Amino acid sequence: MFLRTIRAERMKLKSSPVWLAFFILPILPAVMGTFNYLQNIGILEEEWYSLWTQHTLFTCYFFLPAIIGVYCSYLYRLEHLNHNWNAVRTVPIPVSYLYFAKLVMASLMVLLTQVWTGLLFVLSGKLCGLSSPIPPELLDWLFFGAIGGIVVCALQLCISLIIRSFAVPVGIALIGGIAGLAAVAKGYGVWFPYSLLCLGMRANHPGGPMQCGVFQFALCCLFYLALCVAVAVLWMKNRDVVAG
Amino acid sequence: MRKALAMEFQKTRRRKVWVIVSLLLVVQLLWSFWGIGRMDAHERTQGWMFFFYQFPLLNSIMMPVIAAVVASRLGDIEHKGNTLKLLSTVMPTGQLFDAKFLCGAFYLSSTVLLQVIAMIAVGCAAGFEGAPPALKLGYYLLFTTSVSLTIFLLQQALSLLIQNQMIPLAVGILGSFAGLFIMFFPEHLERFILWGYYGVLMFVRMNWDTTTRITEFYYLPADWIGFLTLIVLFGIIYLIGRTLFIRKEM
Repeated sequence: MFLRTIRAERMKLKSSPVWLAFFILPILPAVMGTFNYLQNIGILEEEWYSLWTQHTLFTCYFFLPAIIGVYCSYLYRLEHLNHNWNAVRTVPIPVSYLYFAKLVMASLMVLLTQVWTGLLFVLSGKLCGLSSPIPPELLDWLFFGAIGGIVVCALQLCISLIIRSFAVPVGIALIGGIAGLAAVAKGYGVWFPYSLLCLGMRANHPGGPMQCGVFQFALCCLFYLALCVAVAVLWMKNRDVVAG
Repeated sequence: MRKALAMEFQKTRRRKVWVIVSLLLVVQLLWSFWGIGRMDAHERTQGWMFFFYQFPLLNSIMMPVIAAVVASRLGDIEHKGNTLKLLSTVMPTGQLFDAKFLCGAFYLSSTVLLQVIAMIAVGCAAGFEGAPPALKLGYYLLFTTSVSLTIFLLQQALSLLIQNQMIPLAVGILGSFAGLFIMFFPEHLERFILWGYYGVLMFVRMNWDTTTRITEFYYLPADWIGFLTLIVLFGIIYLIGRTLFIRKEM
């Protein structure tokens, strides 16, 4: 049953150009960040690590959360239009499946974005002529970044479920990302969901360990995921739909 | 036209458009408080210049997305209700485009004006050296408003022309991203991207001495050629956007 729900979500996204935004987003920092790195090669001495910061710093804080916000708003767009909630809620499947199916689709997009970011990073490094080997931590950065991204997806899906507007959740994601920057700077990053993405990707400090322990990071991610799922399911179970 | 504009404000009632622009303002103010809190006596002597350097940077990150959000809020209401065709039978389509622009422009201009008022208040309270530089504040107000309104105009045209709001919002985010990055590039490149004009019209630059770690700000003459280019861009976007909207099947 759950697989069929996911299939329905895939059908809703068929021929949609939404993937294009995720395709272009990492290209911008890859081209411009690499150029900036080459311009400042005298100050940025840590080769791959400096290049990683150039590629990911602005993306993680400001733009990836906002693009995830656009994607999550888009996933709920069809339900919020016309009287579609009536049709969706009369389908005989548990309400949690509706949320989980969207979470799977959004998470898949984040995973693909991470793979694309990794590929562009390696390609840029090679084109820059970096002589040292590719940092072994790269897979860690991408993996933990993806986990942090999935938490942002879960939260944005909750917001887009509750707020029927398309654009407002995107504004919230942007402001959340900026607040995440402040939280990381103050050392509270692990407690703030929007900071988990850049903490996981080690965007501001790729050479060292994560600001918090891996166990604490995983625990916080799980907590926020569980919280978002609970809020979404309770919201759908207890609130009557607003259709039209 | 006055009726059309009043109608647009009626439509935004309880849609809380001001909440999103207020949030932007609060975040920017908190950011500047944070910066001021860490300032030493030398930095306070250059406080006003610090503001004129920091706020365009913050604007280039946040303002395009906020403009996209406001434009989408104003445009999407018509797509959701399928009201464009109906409206085109009771008023000229071009007037609707203008009224929506003026309505959004009110929100964005008010935000920039409040930014300037907040800058003066915070600067005086923090004890920045000298009286608030009225002329420079005037430049900031003029330049920031004109860049924000040009970006808003583009976003509004996209939001009204394209039913799928994902596209204008993605354009806003990617544009903002490119505009921020291009600030770190050689100056002439900024002129090729609309979102880079927060940087083009920034009239303060910074010198950072890597050995002493002292930051020195200095004023540049206002870039009137950049401003004129922006006005021309505004005219082109207005003409193309409005014409396409009028010709579009509602």
